[in-house]
Amino acid sequence: MKRSAVWILALCLGLLLAGCRQQPEARLTFAVGGAPAELDVWEEFVRRFSVQTGIAVEMLRQPTDSNQRRQGLLIPLKSSQADPDVFLMDVVWLAQFSASGWLLPFDEAAAEFFPRVLDLVDRHGGELVALPVNVDAGLLYYRQDLLDRYGFVGPPATWAELVAQARTVQTGERSEHPGFWGYVWQGAEYEGLICNFLEVAASAGGEIVEDGNFVLDRPANRQALAFLTGLIHDEPISPPNTFTQMKEEEVREAFQGGRALFERNWPYAWAQHQAPSSPVAGKTGIAPLPHFPGEESAATLGGWHIGISRYTDRPEQARELVRYVTSFAVQKEMALRLGWNPGRRDVYRDPQVLAELPYLEQLRGIFDHAVARPVLPYYTQVSQVLQRHLNAALAGWVPPEEALRQAQAEIEAVTARYRLH
Amino acid sequence: MPSDREFKTALLFLLPLLLTVLAFIAVPVAGTIYDSFFRDVTFLPRRFLGLENYRSLLADRAFYQALLFTLLFTIASVPLEVVLGLVFALILNRPLPARGLLRAAVLIPWAIPAAVSGRAFELIYNFSYGLANYLVLTLGLSDAPVNWLGSSYGAFASLVIADAWRTTPFVAIILLAGLTAIPGDLYRQATIDGAGTLQQFARVTLPLLKPVLMVALLFRTIDALRVFDVVYVITGGGPGGSTNALSLYGYQYFLSGDFGYGSTISVVLFAVALALSILYVRVSGFGRELA
Repeated sequence: MKRSAVWILALCLGLLLAGCRQQPEARLTFAVGGAPAELDVWEEFVRRFSVQTGIAVEMLRQPTDSNQRRQGLLIPLKSSQADPDVFLMDVVWLAQFSASGWLLPFDEAAAEFFPRVLDLVDRHGGELVALPVNVDAGLLYYRQDLLDRYGFVGPPATWAELVAQARTVQTGERSEHPGFWGYVWQGAEYEGLICNFLEVAASAGGEIVEDGNFVLDRPANRQALAFLTGLIHDEPISPPNTFTQMKEEEVREAFQGGRALFERNWPYAWAQHQAPSSPVAGKTGIAPLPHFPGEESAATLGGWHIGISRYTDRPEQARELVRYVTSFAVQKEMALRLGWNPGRRDVYRDPQVLAELPYLEQLRGIFDHAVARPVLPYYTQVSQVLQRHLNAALAGWVPPEEALRQAQAEIEAVTARYRLH
Repeated sequence: MPSDREFKTALLFLLPLLLTVLAFIAVPVAGTIYDSFFRDVTFLPRRFLGLENYRSLLADRAFYQALLFTLLFTIASVPLEVVLGLVFALILNRPLPARGLLRAAVLIPWAIPAAVSGRAFELIYNFSYGLANYLVLTLGLSDAPVNWLGSSYGAFASLVIADAWRTTPFVAIILLAGLTAIPGDLYRQATIDGAGTLQQFARVTLPLLKPVLMVALLFRTIDALRVFDVVYVITGGGPGGSTNALSLYGYQYFLSGDFGYGSTISVVLFAVALALSILYVRVSGFGRELA
């Protein structure tokens, strides 16, 4: 009896160790996340790449949620694993990944990409460490039919015009739609809030980093935050739940359901608004976001970039895969099939793409005015602090200037730990 | 006193469990404590810091906000869940029609993953098309929709309700098991002695239920301190960071590549949970009944 117990124990240990044993990996591993439909398209690309080049690729299907995708990359990279060899990164992770020494530099020239995007986020210490697969920027969506009905000539160029138009249309529409709002945007306590704040601040001439130092408590930033808070509490042309529940999808649903005149969202919303089943199909227009008088409109840069792991055991094959994913043909197909805005500029001039996605013509110009979120390895920590204080101001708990002062102090305290070497 | 041989055999049978506990609980906990003494940031060289991380934590306002929320959440949700669970258990212990079916039905919320039930509650609290506002408007309790998650106490109460909905069944089932184990003779005897229902509950049910009650309390307290999914899904820590739980705060640091500070937050959470567990065991004398 004692002997059998020992055997069971040995078996347990054996199974445990077998689970830990490293499998020699004979193929390239490519980590991609996204909606299931997107992943199916990716799998097709990867299959075609393998047929063309004879390089076996295993696609690691990651979830849609960007935090989980990040976690899925952080763990193997921190433990210097060879897999995944190639992966997609959210634009805001690039500084951390590159400063951690996890990205293999590319040596080729990348003339066909947006130079501003490459300069803002893909180049670190003079080296190109990632390439944009798709690029995003904040846009203003508007209801053309409603603007026409109330006699407005075009979408607003300034924030004051947006407020005036929104107020008129909202008052008029309320008699029939009690839940109608002038302007919907992302104000919940999450990353999207930073994107919204930064573009309003930039459109007032503000910035939050200057020469590597945080400068939150500046007049332009105060003006931007006071303006956003006022949209919820003073005007009010934005719903009360803006600071609790409004994220991309909630905002898109409000606009698409015909419950809003203006919407701030990423380009992905366009294809959904124009879908045959959408109530606002054919009634929607897009424009650059408004700005304050004498300043220029701005759009926060988003999107996903491709990079190669420093720990890859097959760098040549990995480069081959990156070349393929960022090739004109694949990027064009991504635009046509997924509605993604390609990272390559030349796709925006392709007649077939422009015929199907006419808004890309406008987008091309918007990327030249894109503002990046601070490109710092500890950006996530900064973002967490800022989200809390901006959100408290939007909730009406703290005056905007006080919120910015507190954020400034807290960010200085948090980042001090990362600045000492 | 068991003989030497018996002891050895017992140890042998316990060994797989002990090894598992060691490998999957003791080693990670020790590793986390160890990491909390280092600057372990992906983009900086690793360096020993001693207690520096803890010193930073003591000066970190967001940490106090998270600690306060976590403790208040535990204090509010655990008693609510235990009282409600006890009521359910008492009802389910009565001879009811279709009792088996009812007992199974009570467990349904517990069987639903917290992230899923969290999402459901987020829809209930939704400002534009949520059930809560539909009811309030239809019943005429308010003439405008309410932004339930818009105030710090509103968000707090919404989280406690969502958590209680999901975990009350767990408490109810544990307590029901305890109730079924109380011999019926005791109640008959109490009736003969002239004790009323309330007196029977206070003098017979509660004392005999105490060990099981302590288990339920202990489990719920530890779980409530570690609350993550409900908060993550419903408020994301907002508004203004007022519902940021400690586990969520630690997770944010892990995610951003600062494993040292993330570990420090985890260690504090672990210490709070451990201290409360020890307190429970001391105060209740739980475990002595078994010896």
